[in-house]
Amino acid sequence: MGDEALIRLEDVHFGYGSHAVFSGLSMDIPKGKITAIMGPSGTGKTTLLELVTGQRHADRGEVRIHGRNLGTLSRKALFRLRREMGLLFQEGALFSDLSVFENVAFPLREHTRLSNILIHHLVLMKLEAVGLRGAALLNPSELSGGMARRVALARSIVLDPVMMFYDEPLVGLDPIAMGVILRLIVHLNKTLGMTSVIVTHDVKEVLKIADGSYIISEGRVVAQGSPSGLAQSRDPWVRQFLEGAPDGPVPFNYPARDFASDLFASGALP
Amino acid sequence: MPIRLILDFLAAVGQRAWFFGATCVAAPRALRRPALIVEQVFFVGSVSVILIGVGGLFVGLVLALQFYTALSRFGATSSLGGLVALALLRELGPVLTALLFAGRAGTSLASELGLMRATRQIDAMEVMAVDPMRRIVAPRFLAGIVSMPLLAGIFSAMGILGAYLVGVKMMGLDPGVFWSSMQHEVSFHSDFVNGLIKSAVFGAACTLIAVYEGFHARPSAEGVGQATTRSVVISSMAILALDFILTAFMY
Repeated sequence: MGDEALIRLEDVHFGYGSHAVFSGLSMDIPKGKITAIMGPSGTGKTTLLELVTGQRHADRGEVRIHGRNLGTLSRKALFRLRREMGLLFQEGALFSDLSVFENVAFPLREHTRLSNILIHHLVLMKLEAVGLRGAALLNPSELSGGMARRVALARSIVLDPVMMFYDEPLVGLDPIAMGVILRLIVHLNKTLGMTSVIVTHDVKEVLKIADGSYIISEGRVVAQGSPSGLAQSRDPWVRQFLEGAPDGPVPFNYPARDFASDLFASGALP
Repeated sequence: MPIRLILDFLAAVGQRAWFFGATCVAAPRALRRPALIVEQVFFVGSVSVILIGVGGLFVGLVLALQFYTALSRFGATSSLGGLVALALLRELGPVLTALLFAGRAGTSLASELGLMRATRQIDAMEVMAVDPMRRIVAPRFLAGIVSMPLLAGIFSAMGILGAYLVGVKMMGLDPGVFWSSMQHEVSFHSDFVNGLIKSAVFGAACTLIAVYEGFHARPSAEGVGQATTRSVVISSMAILALDFILTAFMY
């Protein structure tokens, strides 16, 4: 990926207490492209997004955006940088006390001094983009999971961010909603020139739209490259992950002692 | 082990003190958006006003009955009005209002914020570069300070009405004697204003505790429930302890 990197992680170490999540993670996320970050459950994909949005800071190593190290930014500077970011939460995280319209209007009301008419127009435009203009007056509790995620998407793009992060955008969606979200991601990326980062384990779907991808496991990048490059990889680990084989370099079973001795040992279990 | 407990206790106190400080820092900026505060005053007021009105009425009824029997032994029933008003304005109004408030508005604040934490609404706000201390915590805190004295006022007024019903309508006390003893006994500064100050302090403490517990709830259904329970327990203790301290200084 020879393009200019907007986001750069250099030798990032991070852990919760004694449990290490990342040990020496490095990656470049190029400007204006869709980058997929994939890995099995529990590899810290969500934590990665928390590091990139400055919700958590790396224990060691650097996370740089526009060349600026997030770890050394003041809270004020970090908040200014976050206005260029959009994050689509897996849960949607819509404000339950506000209507769909007010949810999407929220960043505008907080960060701009636009007139009500302008806010109205902008919100309806964004809702139209996700196909939910008709749902503007509903409450979040009246939405299905897929709809809530599309409203959350409209809310996260309402300030026209430079970079957009998607946390598991396809989890729990039916195939149609999945297609809708994928098309939206591509559409937003192309029309607004956003840098998009998709964190996911829906390998097949996301590789169709990604320009580049990283596979992370056990705290570091195990493979990277274009989707076609990954598809031709001979690495057994990558093959297992892409094909979803139950056993291989990544064992299906949680480490345990021998099955037979576990079954027949007397008094071993409570 | 006891050292560990002491350290944990100190850490908990420190976290709450820090939260209080951060809220105070955020409060002036929240003042610039009075609409958010008014919305919260309306919310806490609308959930508690009926409870507090009815509670006040019954407390007044009971107080008047008790005082009437006690006073009639000394033939001093003429001072019933003043006695009830003093008891309500100085102590029972602020304290009982705060306890009812902690049970009603405090729990809904704690569970509301706990739910916002569990569904990641607070994280979402942070990522949108909106400071939750300024947008969520400070308006609720200020609303607590504003609405508690108002609610305590309603409580005391309803209590006095209850005492009037028992003393005058039921026991046949002369209404003029009832009201004039009240006017004679109650001083504006040392009784009414001090009562208001007490309830403003209770309002600050109650909302701060409820919001703190909700804000730091563990992000699960269990966590929200625990935060709600803890907010009532801690608020009630804090109200009674603060009441002692304030009373010692005031009277």
